[in-house]
Amino acid sequence: MPKAPRYSAWSLLRARLAGHRYWQPLWSGRKLQQAYDVVVVGAGGHGLATAFHLARDHGLKRVAVLEKRLVGYGNVGRNTTIVRSNYLLPENHYFYEDALRRYQTLSRDLNYNVMYSPRGVVDLALSDDDFPALARRGNAMRLAGIDAELMELPALERFCPELEPRRTRRFPILGALVQHRGGTVRHDAVAWGYARAAAALGVDIIEECEVTGVRTRGAVATGVETSRGYVQAERIVFATAGHTGTIGTMLGVPLPIETHLLQAMVSEPVKPLLNTVLIYVAPGHAETYICQSDRGGLVMGGHLDGFPSYTREGRWECMEDVVQGALELLPQIGGIKILRHWAGTNDMTMDGSPIIDRLRYDNVFLNAGWCYGGFKAIPASGAACASFVATGTAPDLIKAFRLSRFATGHLLNESGQGPFPVRQ
Amino acid sequence: VSLLVCPFCGPRELREFHFHKTLPPDRGSVFEQTYERSDNPEFSVEHWQHLLGCRAWLCVTRNPSTGAVLETLLLGVAVPHD
Repeated sequence: MPKAPRYSAWSLLRARLAGHRYWQPLWSGRKLQQAYDVVVVGAGGHGLATAFHLARDHGLKRVAVLEKRLVGYGNVGRNTTIVRSNYLLPENHYFYEDALRRYQTLSRDLNYNVMYSPRGVVDLALSDDDFPALARRGNAMRLAGIDAELMELPALERFCPELEPRRTRRFPILGALVQHRGGTVRHDAVAWGYARAAAALGVDIIEECEVTGVRTRGAVATGVETSRGYVQAERIVFATAGHTGTIGTMLGVPLPIETHLLQAMVSEPVKPLLNTVLIYVAPGHAETYICQSDRGGLVMGGHLDGFPSYTREGRWECMEDVVQGALELLPQIGGIKILRHWAGTNDMTMDGSPIIDRLRYDNVFLNAGWCYGGFKAIPASGAACASFVATGTAPDLIKAFRLSRFATGHLLNESGQGPFPVRQ
Repeated sequence: VSLLVCPFCGPRELREFHFHKTLPPDRGSVFEQTYERSDNPEFSVEHWQHLLGCRAWLCVTRNPSTGAVLETLLLGVAVPHD
């Protein structure tokens, strides 16, 4: 494969003059080799980012990413594109802040425009209890050096006039916690950008190659069985969000993970009417988050469907809840039609926080359990996981995400809902 | 899944029911029952409650890959995997 051109204004001009025959496929055309230093299973955001950092930061030459379907088929292409680091627990907000900082420079790092748009993430307070809870979270963030602004109605009105915060509502809006650097990133571009950058560094991205088993000798894994034959591997990383439970079954390790569905939907494109990301959690747990894509569609999502499922078909009642919340916030969108609606399978852990750790064997690593927060974590997760795999020692940033925390009681239960993947 | 059959109320809309938890295949320690899941995409035994109906606790066996409900039993009366 010829070397991929570097994107720039100059390359655009050159491509135009060459009748667009200048462009190359971004990652296709690699052949599966017999042996690798690291085999990453799953070409989603986390797998591709891990492979990219292994090749770029740690100089590993023989890295493969094996994907059952296609690059970006899973949750990296199904999320609602929101990035933020407004978490309460230090283990979480330092980690997600690292991810957000990397997102800020990602377009430059990957030489691929991921369309990072710091339009602000607005967590709305709907009751006298919400406001101090948001203030506490905001204070925790500010102590960690992360931007957060607690807004009362006049400030919120200035920041998001389209919301009309003073409008009479069933649950009146009292204020909001705003993270200005939060916003959106084009999700497909993250997958494609990492895939392109990794392929340019010599990573083999093999699509339609399903891993069906792990071959082991004693306490070490020696390689993976795939639908295209056996591949020898010195280290194996599983980044198979949504299907991590089946990886646990494959290796004989029961994991604290259940697979649940989260749905999202997008409306027909309309002229700009919303310039931020609104997050609305009504009493009774109905949740809606809504933002407007650059194409004009209103992207909406809500809560989990509420029970384990692999079907990728969302429940209509949950969709209804999301739309009701959106209409409560922005009644002016009432006549707009929903264009597409889809669901993704989420790795839900028993405390709502991720797992990056060894899995049963010394050279098998697990990058999983991202719940519904996987997309915003991708750059930090890739860098930290790659460092862990390359050096054998977990960086401080992800030490708290170890698998044994469930047994030792060091849970990272951000929402405080107990050992359940869904609210009880 | 769009309907569950309550042993008392008959077929009812899913939103009347509340999913509580997945049961492990073997009764292990409290830790194992609380935290560990032997994930089987074809077979799942769960506790549900008919929360917005007769409030009965149910033991539902489902196939999470197809969404099919295989069996709905009253909890405590009969548990299929025992």
